[in-house]
Formats: sequence, structure tokens, C-alpha cells
Amino acid sequence: MHIDVKKEIMGSGPARIGFAILLVMILMALLAPLITPYNPHQQTQSALLAPSGSHWLGTNHVGQDIWSRLVFGARTSLLVGFGVGVLATLLGTIFGVSAALIGGLYERIVMRLVDAFIVIPMVIVVILVAAYVKPSILVLIVLLALLSWQGGARIIWAQALSQKEREYVAAARSFGAGTFYIAWRHIVPALGPILLVDFIYGIRRAVFMEAGLAFLGISDPTVVSWGVMMRNALSFSYLPVWQWWLLPIGIALSLIIVGLTFVGHGVEPIIDPRLRGAEVV
Amino acid sequence: MFSRRNIVTYVVALAFILVLNFLLPRMLPGDPLTAIYGDEALVAMTPQLKAELVKRFALDQTLWRQFGAYILELCRGRLGYSYYYNAPVLTVVLGRLPWTLLLVGTALVLSSILGIVSGIESGWRRGSRTDRTMLAGLMSLNGFPDFFVGMVLLIIFGVTWRVFPLGGALTPYSGLTGWATVLDAVKHMVLPVAALTLAHLSGGYLLTRNTMITVLKEPYMLTARAKGLSQGALKYRHAGRNALLPVVTQTGIWTGRVVTGALFVELVFAYPGVGYLAYEAMMARDYPVIQGLFLVVAVAVLAINFLVELSYTTLDPRVRGVSRAH
Repeated sequence: MHIDVKKEIMGSGPARIGFAILLVMILMALLAPLITPYNPHQQTQSALLAPSGSHWLGTNHVGQDIWSRLVFGARTSLLVGFGVGVLATLLGTIFGVSAALIGGLYERIVMRLVDAFIVIPMVIVVILVAAYVKPSILVLIVLLALLSWQGGARIIWAQALSQKEREYVAAARSFGAGTFYIAWRHIVPALGPILLVDFIYGIRRAVFMEAGLAFLGISDPTVVSWGVMMRNALSFSYLPVWQWWLLPIGIALSLIIVGLTFVGHGVEPIIDPRLRGAEVV
Repeated sequence: MFSRRNIVTYVVALAFILVLNFLLPRMLPGDPLTAIYGDEALVAMTPQLKAELVKRFALDQTLWRQFGAYILELCRGRLGYSYYYNAPVLTVVLGRLPWTLLLVGTALVLSSILGIVSGIESGWRRGSRTDRTMLAGLMSLNGFPDFFVGMVLLIIFGVTWRVFPLGGALTPYSGLTGWATVLDAVKHMVLPVAALTLAHLSGGYLLTRNTMITVLKEPYMLTARAKGLSQGALKYRHAGRNALLPVVTQTGIWTGRVVTGALFVELVFAYPGVGYLAYEAMMARDYPVIQGLFLVVAVAVLAINFLVELSYTTLDPRVRGVSRAH
């Protein structure tokens, strides 16, 4: 696969927009303490204030500054997103590539397990587990990664199978390269663009899931989560507070997901070249 | 006709669900009876009842025996007893299931029709201004989580304009009968269904548009055009129908997603389906209901996936025996 990933992404308009959005969000998360006037956890007597010079987005029902919480919430979203993205892509690569290269009974077992997990609805499993084990942010990352690497593994496996038949692998073998060496030095680099798409969609799924689960009440109480904030805001929907409480958070969350979708969609033609030329936006 | 491989997949999935449901409460530290029955049960627990439950679940025996007892109970249709609702779990869950099926079913039908039609139209006009606007618009819509879409609809149409009710599935104590009840139920459904449909529209759209673009390059489209067929016939009868198959194959996975989405949306609208039940049960730590719910919903999603796969292997002879690459 001789594709210039950078050129491919930057050639697509939406992908550029997506990149810009993500960059802003990442900067916001990294610089959080510098751009927020208050501690996001600090409760005060001044609850449900309207936006003003001192509280840009007002305060919530326990007097916490909403802007500060919005900015710190980006950290949680992105941390869970990247954590799950990295871990799930890693698992998908390990199992997908090893199944393709080793083959035999091992391949059959791994792929049957992968198929089985693809049809199991992930959210419901997480709800069940969370009912028994209140997940910390780390446990949540591991749990989401364990439940979501299978879709990617299937695609990686299929691609690794076709790479395995190429001449360069046969050439490497004839020089005495072992299976692990071939996997690490030849197959994995060749799968680069596919791993990138898998990684991006993995992040998107995790950002969405973290917010959704927190909205359902499954979250680590020590971290600021957008899902929890939206859940709290919903209880006050009869007041005008939703304009500066619910909307900015919902929009920030949607922007991250849209940004990831745009970048992912820009990279997709790499996997399916038939889509090329479809992207004239 | 139906490959053995697919059956193995579903058997493994089902086994995973059963084992997880069995192991979770029993692996935790503390009294397994509390974990199986929830804190509420302790109030009602008498020594006789406790002895009876220990015996029924074989809790004093090996893990294998316990698993056997658990499966046996399930086979008898006993999912446990909720001390919070004071009713058998199966009754509680089945009482809520129709409302969720109503939401999910309506939203699935609407979002597939809208997604497929907009995908065909957009793919047909590939590269035009309409196509670009639709693509950017629907891809952005894809980013809005269903519960956020629900909340925005709730605030606009429920709180501000007051055109639709704020929540629930029926107006309580309304004394309505016959058609008035149906109308009332429909009014309560509009916002949650709209939220689900909007949030899940783009999946069908993107897939149909992509397939449409590849189908339009097929030689048979040139032949059809050369025959002098009308635009409508070309677009829907020739290209559209062939672009439909990948959409059908994805229906199973979408159903899972829409069911998941319904869990969130029901919470926004306090809609009395299984999603709201899951939330209530989680807040009350009503373990039997959470377990029963997990089992019923997971098995239902598996069953739908299975049926969809069965139907498209019948629909498209090409798929038979070919590996199912996503």
C-alpha cells in the first residue's frame, strides 16, 4: 500500500476542518489550568448564576463554574478516547496479525471469538459490569478497550492475510526471517493507514461511550465528565440555564465526534480506493 | 445452507453473556446472596428463605454445580425476583419491553427509509452542491449523541413551544379510551423517535451513498442508460436496488446501536421502556433486574442479528459460504 497518508488527509476539506477542531480541543485540554479562572470541583454559595464577566458560562446547581468544568471535562473525554483508541488498536493488531500469520486452529479460535464479540451489544455489558464494580477512569478505559477491539481486528486480519501472500514476505522468509520479525517489520508497517482509521474510530466510539455512560450515572466521581454535567443540566430544563449549561457542553462533545468523523472519512478512501474521487468536498 | 461457522459465533456470544451474568455477582467479595438479590432482599430475608435460595442456586456447592443450577433456573423461565418492584424479574422486564420495541422499531424503519433514499439521491448527484451539502450535514449530524439530540428536541418542542409532552409514554390519569389513547401514545412517541431517527440516520445514508458510487460505475448501468430508461428507473430500480444489499447486512449491527441509543433517549424523556428500567434498577442497586434485563436485551439483540444474517444469506446467493468481511 503505497499511499501518502498525509497528502490523502490534507487533500480533503472536511478532514482539514476535523483536524482543526481536534487541535483546538487538545490544546484546550492541555492548557486547562491556564485558561480556567476557577477550580472545577470547588462548590460555592452562588448557584445557578447567569453568564457574567467572572463566570463566562454561569454556575451550576452547586455553584461550580461551568466554563472551568467544560474545559476540564475535555481532558476526561480525550483521555478516555485516546486511551481506548491506543489499547483497542493494539489488541486488534496483535490478534488480527497473529491470527493471519499463524493460521490453523489458533486463527479459527481467535476469529470465532472476534465474531462473537462483534454481535454482543457493548453498552449493555458495560452497564452490567458497572452495576457491580464502580469503574474508575482506568478501569473504564480497559473495559471499553476489551469490549471494542474486535471490529478492527477483523479488518486488520483480512488485510494481513492479503499482505502475507505478497512477494516481499516470501523474499523475507527466504532470507530466514521469523514470523515475529515479518509481522513487526513488514506486515504492521504495511497496514499503517488501516491502523490509523481503526485508531480514529476507536477514539470516536470511546468519547461517545464515556459521555453516554456518565450520562447514565456510570462514572468516576473524582473526574469532571461532560456526560454527568449534561445529566445534571437536564434536571433544570425548565429554567433558561440550558442555554449556557447544556448547549455548550453538548456542542463541545459533538464537535469532538464530528472532528473525528471528518478525519476518519478523509482516511477511509485509503482502505477502499473505489471511493476515491467521491470526495470532492 | 446456513454455515456452521455462524452458528458457532452465536453460541459463543450467548455463552459469554451467560457466563458473565453468572460470574459477576459470585466473584465479588461479600455475601453472594446479597449480590444476586440486592440490598432490598435482606429486609425480606428469613432463615427459611435464605436456606431455600442457597439450595436453589446450589450456593454451598462447587462453581460448576452453581452454574448448572443457574442454567436450570433460566430454562424454567425464572430470572429471579425483584424485591424493589416486588415482582418476578421477567414480569418487570416484559412489562417494559413493548415500549422499547415500539421506539426502536419505529426509529429503525424511519431512519433506514430516510437514510437509503437520501443516500441514493446524494450518490446519484456525486460531487454536486446538493451531494456535498448533504454529506457534510449528515456527517455532522452523526456526531451528535442521541441523548443530546433528545435533550435539544425536548427543550425546543416540549419546554419552549409546548407542542409535545415532556416525558412518559401516556398521560397519567387521563381517562382516555380507544383512539384517544393511541393518539396520546403517538404524541408521547414523537420526540424520542425523532431523536433516535436523526441520530441514526447517517449510518444508512453513508453506506448507501458509498455503494451507490461504486454501483454507478458498473457496466450494467451503462447498458441500462443506453436502453433509454428514465432517470427514476435508473436511479431506484437499477442502481438503488443493488446499493441496498450492504445496508441490509448492516441492519443487525444497527439494531444493536439503536437499542443502545434507546437506553439513553428513554432516560431523557422518562419513557418507561427497558432503558429507563435499567437506570432505575442501577440507582436502586436492584441486581436481579439489572441481570435479567441484561440477559433479555442481549439475547434479543443476538436473535435479531442472527435473523438478519439468515435472511441475507437467503436474499443473496453470493454471500453463501463466503467469508463475512466487514
